[in-house]
Amino acid sequence: MGYGSVIKVPFGPQHPALKEPEHFTFEVEGDVVVNVKPRIGYNHRGIEKAFERRTYIQNIYLAERICGICSDAHTTCYTQAIENLLGVEAPPRAKYIRVIIAELERIHSHSLWVGIAAHEIGFDTLFMYVWRDREVVMNLFEMISGNRVNYATNTIGGVRRDIPSEMFPKIKKGLDVLEKRLKYYLDVAQTEQTILKRTSGVGILKPKDAVELCAVGPTLRASGIKNDVRADDPYAAYDEIPFNVVTHDGCDVLSRIIVRCKEMFESINIIRYALDHIPSGMIRVRVPMAVPEGETVSRVEAPRGELIHYAKSNGTMQPERYKVRSPTLGNIPALCKMLLGGRVADIPIVLAGIDPCFACMDRMAFVDLKTNKKWVWTMDELKEHVRRNNL
Amino acid sequence: MTEAENEILEKVKETLKEEIVEIKIPRKRRIFVKIRRKALKQAVKSLKELGFKHISTITGVDLGENIELIYHFAYKGAVELSLRLDVPKNKPDVPTITDIIPGAILYEREVHDLFGVTFEGHPQMARLILPEKWPEGIYPLRKEYTLENLKKLIFEDGEEE
Repeated sequence: MGYGSVIKVPFGPQHPALKEPEHFTFEVEGDVVVNVKPRIGYNHRGIEKAFERRTYIQNIYLAERICGICSDAHTTCYTQAIENLLGVEAPPRAKYIRVIIAELERIHSHSLWVGIAAHEIGFDTLFMYVWRDREVVMNLFEMISGNRVNYATNTIGGVRRDIPSEMFPKIKKGLDVLEKRLKYYLDVAQTEQTILKRTSGVGILKPKDAVELCAVGPTLRASGIKNDVRADDPYAAYDEIPFNVVTHDGCDVLSRIIVRCKEMFESINIIRYALDHIPSGMIRVRVPMAVPEGETVSRVEAPRGELIHYAKSNGTMQPERYKVRSPTLGNIPALCKMLLGGRVADIPIVLAGIDPCFACMDRMAFVDLKTNKKWVWTMDELKEHVRRNNL
Repeated sequence: MTEAENEILEKVKETLKEEIVEIKIPRKRRIFVKIRRKALKQAVKSLKELGFKHISTITGVDLGENIELIYHFAYKGAVELSLRLDVPKNKPDVPTITDIIPGAILYEREVHDLFGVTFEGHPQMARLILPEKWPEGIYPLRKEYTLENLKKLIFEDGEEE
């Protein structure tokens, strides 16, 4: 890792096990970032092409595997699209089950993120605490679906598994535990100096920029813009369930922490309401294998923001075209804006702030404009730099 | 169709007039508008004025002779309007819309990578998704490239697996 020599970052699917590795080139002047160039695609798997070669049923499993954390958001989006093309609707009970799973997923994803954010600012105690409590929701997933990660709940025309009423008290008990812990974490986030010092005023994204750069999800809402697919373009049973769209006008990383913490409370209340009001009846309708010609746009509020799928069918058992845009890509232009003018030491937490599928973003290149030096750091080296210089 | 959509549709018809080729409304809160190729910038500008400030993504579809570009815009987060136009495969270029909607910057690069459509005036029309050593002029989401011949084309140098 020599200074003063240009090091080319090798291409490769370095971590096939992790998703969305991203590469950024930062141009720095002293300690200040003056330019950011993203380069993504290190784990581009050609999923859209693969969709065209598989049947609609096989594609459910493919959609589930687009993302490991928000796997349910993708299958919800996919099955909704295909149901729309077929002209069928999932039964009411299935829609409520979709909401329950989606909100459990949001809690699991957001608490995973709070842990990572704490880790990025060196607050590993909080990281351990949050991830311990996240196990509550993972255990609920295991109880409901038999799986911790890919819940395989959705299918075209409904859901594959019912949630029996014997499980309701267990789910509610889990939610009570989570709510109690979350209150504590929200309090910690707003009062603990370690967090405030590292996140307040860092990674600013002004509301105007957020709209202009088409940011999505908690990143957008933390800049004070009230925008949520669940409320604006309701799907599943969201039009029957009351909830608040959480916003915060801090426009910084702290604001993103607060928005996500408060969203978890909303999720808990949504699940409680859904459990109390879930209609009885069947959980799926049978659908034909072939889908008539047509096209549709399906949207879902994934934990990270607006997720959009476009489907075009040609009357056969395989789609003509399937397009997926995950929320992380939507937030990259906004992320580049946040990093500009910031300090090198703040890069990790600002990057983590949009909740990218982050773990694999393991290399960064730096260019010092004054000396034209270029070098590459791994994420760990960058953190070491932060520690060494006590930034 | 609700009132909000009717209102949007009337305004879209009013501003784009004869540039509109076709309008489809497959379900509530979804509008597909097909326009003439040369009207793209004007259409995006007037959509933005109408309140379509958010672009969700740009989809490319291989239609054989043409490549169809679908720009998905959202109105206050709710109504999704898909603006579509055809570009001929032998001369696939359209003007960029990044000067009007800066958020489209990566979506245009994505379509450029996978379909070979050039967005004229884009500040950085470089590779985004495909690897550096991917051969020039091969656009994997075009229908003429099947998985089998793609494999042959990219692993020519015997590097397979």
